[in-house]
Amino acid sequence: MHIPDGFLDAKAWMTTTAVGAAAVAYSLNKTKLGISSSKQVPMVALIGSFVFAAQMINFPIAGATSGHFLGGALTSILFGPWIGTIVMAAVLIIQALVFQDGGITVLGANILCTGFIGCFVGYGVYKAGMKLFGGKGRIFITFIASWLSIVAASAGVALLLAWSGTFELGLALKAMVGWHMLIGIGEGVITTLVAGYLLERSKAQVKGAALQ
Amino acid sequence: MSEFQVTARKGKWIVLLVITLVTAGLLSPWASPHPDGLERVAKDHGFIDQAGAVHEWAPIPDYEVAGIPWTAVRVGLAGVIGAGIMAAVLWVSIKGLSSRRGKANAQSHGDGEGRL
Repeated sequence: MHIPDGFLDAKAWMTTTAVGAAAVAYSLNKTKLGISSSKQVPMVALIGSFVFAAQMINFPIAGATSGHFLGGALTSILFGPWIGTIVMAAVLIIQALVFQDGGITVLGANILCTGFIGCFVGYGVYKAGMKLFGGKGRIFITFIASWLSIVAASAGVALLLAWSGTFELGLALKAMVGWHMLIGIGEGVITTLVAGYLLERSKAQVKGAALQ
Repeated sequence: MSEFQVTARKGKWIVLLVITLVTAGLLSPWASPHPDGLERVAKDHGFIDQAGAVHEWAPIPDYEVAGIPWTAVRVGLAGVIGAGIMAAVLWVSIKGLSSRRGKANAQSHGDGEGRL
């Protein structure tokens, strides 16, 4: 779902560039305070690398259309939404600069939609779900959180297309959300598998429970 | 409520590294060539022609390294190079952020364990 140059008008790309830059700057600041140990550095770097690689794999869905993994929900469930936003911004910047995938004027828009929105929706739904169900049904919650992160990101893109006058709002939402409800299934499967593999019950919590 | 944390087991991260390299290097040439969701919508609703690139100087446009006769190698190599660049850029920038924080903490007397 990389917006190319030309889909957004000047007011939309200029606004999203400014807001996107602010979101990245704020996330960098939050990340500075949030890195809990230097052991996390190679992990975050490797997850970014994985997200990049997985995004290359377009999978066929229906009607001669494909989708691919985005990764905002995965990175945020693993490392929190601020580091998630930084990872997604880095992926999008390198894709645009090195591989001409996604535009330059719309980098801010892409960072806001697939990065910021994807990360915060994915993380928010995951955290809320875990709290609501007391940590049960983690696989299901992870799936729904990552599926919703894609649907929300596609709705964000639809809003920007409509704001730019490229496309009528109702139609844009219906078309974008419709396709990404299918693509989101792939996102859900990959996120559930990788997060399930890399997350384990916290030792501190186990100890804490023993002390109570 | 049970809390989960990211595993510290090296073996699992090595498996992820191998999956990443295999995905970028070997699977990427066989990705679906069909348009993705946004491209499909743009085609169906007649605004795909508005797409244009403002820069023509990307070193590896469209995930294909130039000058190699085999498509699978062009794409696979692009994938491995991209995965390497990603890891390097994130490593350096996150490391830079966390070490700056370390210094700031040494000066003030630290604000305890930074939790996400």
